[in-house]
Amino acid sequence: MENTKLLISILFGSILVNNYVLSQFLGICPFLGVSKKLDQATGMGIAVIFVMLVATAVTWPIQKFILEKTGLEYMQTIVFILVIAALVQLTEIILKKFIPALHKSLGVYLPLITTNCAVLGVTINNINDGYTFVQSIVSSLGCGLGFLLAMVLFSGVRSRIEERKIPKYLRGLPVTLIAASFVSLAFFGFAGIVENLLK
Amino acid sequence: MKKNSNISVLFKGLLLENPVFVLVLGTCPTLATTQTVIGAFAMGIAAMVVLICSNVVISLLRKVIPDTVRIPCYIVIIAGFVTIVQMFMHAYLPELYELLGVYLALITVNCIILGRAEMFASKNSVAKSALDGVGMGLGFTLALLAMATLREVFGSGSFAGMEIPFLKDHTVDILTQAPGGLLVYGLLIFAVTAITQGRAPKKTSFGCEGCPSAGNCSACAEKEEN
Amino acid sequence: MKKYLKSVIALTAICAVVALLMAATNYLTAPIIEQNESAAANEALLVVMPEGEDFELMDLSGYELPATVTEVYAESTGGYVVKLTTAGYSTGLVIMCGVDAAGTVTGATCLASSETLGAEKTYGEKTVGKTAADIDTVDTVASMTKTTGAYRNAVKDALNAAVILGGGSVDLRSEEEILKDNLSAALPAAEGAFTPWFMVEELEGVSAVYVADNGSGTVFVKGEDFVVDPALAQKVAESKVEALDLSGYELPTAITKAEKTASGNYVFEVKGSGFGINGDKYYAPSGEPIMIRVSVTPAGKIIACETISQQETDGIGSACAEPAFYTQFNGKDESNYKDIDAISGATLTTNGYKTAVGKALEAVKILEGAA
Repeated sequence: MENTKLLISILFGSILVNNYVLSQFLGICPFLGVSKKLDQATGMGIAVIFVMLVATAVTWPIQKFILEKTGLEYMQTIVFILVIAALVQLTEIILKKFIPALHKSLGVYLPLITTNCAVLGVTINNINDGYTFVQSIVSSLGCGLGFLLAMVLFSGVRSRIEERKIPKYLRGLPVTLIAASFVSLAFFGFAGIVENLLK
Repeated sequence: MKKNSNISVLFKGLLLENPVFVLVLGTCPTLATTQTVIGAFAMGIAAMVVLICSNVVISLLRKVIPDTVRIPCYIVIIAGFVTIVQMFMHAYLPELYELLGVYLALITVNCIILGRAEMFASKNSVAKSALDGVGMGLGFTLALLAMATLREVFGSGSFAGMEIPFLKDHTVDILTQAPGGLLVYGLLIFAVTAITQGRAPKKTSFGCEGCPSAGNCSACAEKEEN
Repeated sequence: MKKYLKSVIALTAICAVVALLMAATNYLTAPIIEQNESAAANEALLVVMPEGEDFELMDLSGYELPATVTEVYAESTGGYVVKLTTAGYSTGLVIMCGVDAAGTVTGATCLASSETLGAEKTYGEKTVGKTAADIDTVDTVASMTKTTGAYRNAVKDALNAAVILGGGSVDLRSEEEILKDNLSAALPAAEGAFTPWFMVEELEGVSAVYVADNGSGTVFVKGEDFVVDPALAQKVAESKVEALDLSGYELPTAITKAEKTASGNYVFEVKGSGFGINGDKYYAPSGEPIMIRVSVTPAGKIIACETISQQETDGIGSACAEPAFYTQFNGKDESNYKDIDAISGATLTTNGYKTAVGKALEAVKILEGAA
């Protein structure tokens, strides 16, 4: 029971309170770059969830059973980023071969994810927070869902911005960032809610 | 100014091609580590060291690295330098190491570094690549400092930890939080765009090709449209 | 194919060189990082042991330590820094205590607490320089008896732990356990089940009486000794109390019950006013009186005294329910019954208690016709 509670609080905590994009600033590049259209935002979000889950499932055992056993913790960053890069490549190849339909819709987003700091961030954070394997997976799922949520919500905001006449120098990124600031402000309201809900 | 003269290589990073405000690269650390001036400065210097080292090494190896595996090679080199910087900071500057936390490791995926490797270091001489690293690093650091100064002075009423009379009693707390970071960033980009008035070169020629997001990145697309 | 091979070789070579560089850096920095980290950890330890040198976390398996001890760091000159978790007014009082090689407290500090009164923040300073012998002389802080008492006990546990870790042995039993063990040793046939007998008879040199639940005998506490005395047991068994005919007497209203033994001793139940009721005024929290049972000889000497019930403030006035307090009245009479140690922080409770005991003595005088 206690365990389930903890898992739920990790899940919702990482979706709402510690939203990677809006409060930790991880994955801001794709958040700003690919959130213009709803279908793109959704595709990117789903691809990120997928890669986050697979990357966590692979890096956690590597860290616990290889790096920590051999005292090579300092290789963490380099090993993780290579694993993520390789995984992204592998996923693309597998999808292309076996599920071409999915590859068609997600494929274009996969290469972008290698340098998405949210993916490297979530794998390193799971280790730093001392999560167990199950907790790590749940936390990754939460972070991915949080990313998707932020992307989808923000694509709605952006489509509104596109329709408006914006002062010249505010056009493009400045107004996007200011809009993101307000979305982030909305998420700010979730602070503390998860802990109290489960009390 | 002669294109690509050493001086211009050094100074273009400061404003005209400022990696943060003009090229809009490396947004994550820009937002995350600028709550305090000290954190921003540490992040800027750490990234600059990695940038210079990786630029030099990649430039040295530019004839050796096969084209097909160049991105993995760059990532390995960058991640290696990041880890080395991380270890040195952990050993000699433990407070700053704690302060930067996971963002230090995330320098690895900072687009500025991979972007410069791909766009500049792999095509230019070692000396020029080093200068480019210094220039871009300085530009990054200055941009972070500008953001951090605004956020810390008005958000916490202090500068680099020193309290400022009057302001410390009238703080805008939200500036130190996530929404404030995005807001200040947006306003600063607006200011820089207004100052340079489109004299800023098109983004595509400076590293977007190095960024895997280029094809789908609306920020790049917008620059192209301009 | 050749191109493919070249790519692989180049990538592998770069990986190898980078890994080597990292290993070299790690070789250089790892000792410094470790030193920094242990220095940071030591900083907390140095607070409680300012002259400590090197600290090392100990493996506690194989030692039977007080239950409050959670971590122990061995200091290179033979001292220990002990981390303890106990409960004061609320749970989670975490204390770090340094004990030097000579068994003297070098410092104690509170690492975490959720106490309301804040006494735990500075109380540790009072224990500095104390040893196992005189730790009990450190006074608890008035009105924060529970917090500071738990603190003191934790420091005591730390001192005991240091002795045990140094190869010595310490009696870790609680007072109740010691009592039970002593009783069982005196009368094994009782199988550890005893009921205290309220002394209504004067028994020479006896301070407490415990009757075995299974009827196998009676144990008398004489000073430090626990003895089985058939003659005295006979006296206890024969002792009888009978309700007293109070018609014609006007006893103090505080007396709620009066009885007399065959030997002529009086047994009263007296209503005392504590913090709950002070005179006519009612205070929080309960407004309930303290109920006291007192036995008195016809000559006005208190044989025994005990608290039947009380609702005084937990952790402060509630100490009136502890034998350490009420047995102080045993053997006292009118001239000196007020000379007992007050409960620290609970003047109203103590005064109310004394007044109630005084009423019993007054009642004896009336019943004996002396007043």
